[in-house]
Amino acid sequence: MSKNDNGLPELIPQYAIAADEQANETPQGLKMGLCLCATCKKVNALTEQYCSRCHSPLSARNYASIQQSWALLITATILLILANIYPITLLTNRGVVTNDTIFSGIAHLVKSGMFPIAIIVFTASILVPWLKILGLGLYLSAISFNIPISKRKMMVGFHIIEWIGRWSMLDLFVISLTVALVNMGQLLDAKPAPAATAFALVILLTQLAAKVLDTRLLWDRLETHDDTN
Amino acid sequence: MSEPKSFKAVILCRSCDFVIRKRALPSNVRALCPRCDTALYDTPYCSLNGLLALCITALIVFFPANLLPVLEINFLGSVRTTTVYQTAVEVWGQGYWVVGLAVLASAVIAPALLILSILMQVLIIKLNLRSLFWQSVYRRLLKNHGLLSQMTMLEIYVISFLVSAFQLSDFSDVYFGMGTLSFTLLFLAILFLQREYNLEHMWSYVHVEK
Repeated sequence: MSKNDNGLPELIPQYAIAADEQANETPQGLKMGLCLCATCKKVNALTEQYCSRCHSPLSARNYASIQQSWALLITATILLILANIYPITLLTNRGVVTNDTIFSGIAHLVKSGMFPIAIIVFTASILVPWLKILGLGLYLSAISFNIPISKRKMMVGFHIIEWIGRWSMLDLFVISLTVALVNMGQLLDAKPAPAATAFALVILLTQLAAKVLDTRLLWDRLETHDDTN
Repeated sequence: MSEPKSFKAVILCRSCDFVIRKRALPSNVRALCPRCDTALYDTPYCSLNGLLALCITALIVFFPANLLPVLEINFLGSVRTTTVYQTAVEVWGQGYWVVGLAVLASAVIAPALLILSILMQVLIIKLNLRSLFWQSVYRRLLKNHGLLSQMTMLEIYVISFLVSAFQLSDFSDVYFGMGTLSFTLLFLAILFLQREYNLEHMWSYVHVEK
């Protein structure tokens, strides 16, 4: 990289243009009087009330979405703790009843040597829900408390959370299949236990928390925070 | 209703509201937001005939996939089979209706509605139904497409019966049947259907009244 008179590194032309644009006109659509339709992704004028293509009501920013998202996330966290404490299945084997929590179920899989299955179940029912809650918590904190973390990385993380969240359903599918198949009375019988409902609600609420949130709110703070990294 | 010129050349990032000049893309290339890396758009094209063919395929395999047992176990001579629908009903019957409803919605109802919705959309375009009624039906279908698409979780279900089969094989014999095959085919048909489908392209078919 060549140096100019001031001793500063010279900008590559493309970046220079980008920097110029940021200085002269703000890159936010809101400032340019444009508004994206949340339903069909069409660009509309801010003055419009309804999208010209899909007729949905337009809103420039949904400021209430932070509170809604926080509320859903906090509820989900409480339920996830319950889902981990209470048993998720109730197994009767030759008259002996055992309660299995999510964790003891996985421990049992490891003990019987089924490592690949144990890893899949561990990812779907422990890793993904906790990562999702911590990730969303971090994202929401960054908006609410102005924490200076790279927005770009946060956004990538958010998209991963959005995509991976649904894989937690694996555990519920496995439970429903097991419950439907294993019903031989006192000999061998599997039943769902209270944590199953809590776990189902965790999935629903965290997916909703991610869906409800207006991610553009994070990026509106561009002017107050330098975010070049 | 006339639109300002700037609207057509410009798009906004749905995640960060960045203003981006729109340009044509070569095939198999996606445009990412330069600021936040969100996928914005790709080739705005999907083959309607391809969609129709995949819809019909999915519709045909939907019935055996949901009526035939997907998993069968033999425990000391007593045989148990189950279909996807029965697993949901069984859990519901035990009092865990939230779980039952979640299973039913994501493995049976959402895929069925998704197939019917896309079939309906393709037919509305193909038959050139431009009356106010059909156009509002079309809009409604497109608005709900994202939700249906997200609720369809067949890929997860396919992994689930593999996991269950491994777990159950610990103490009983496990068999797959025609139902398992049909369900896997249904998953593949819907996977390709979702890959082929392009929501942005479908929106461009909306007949805007002047």
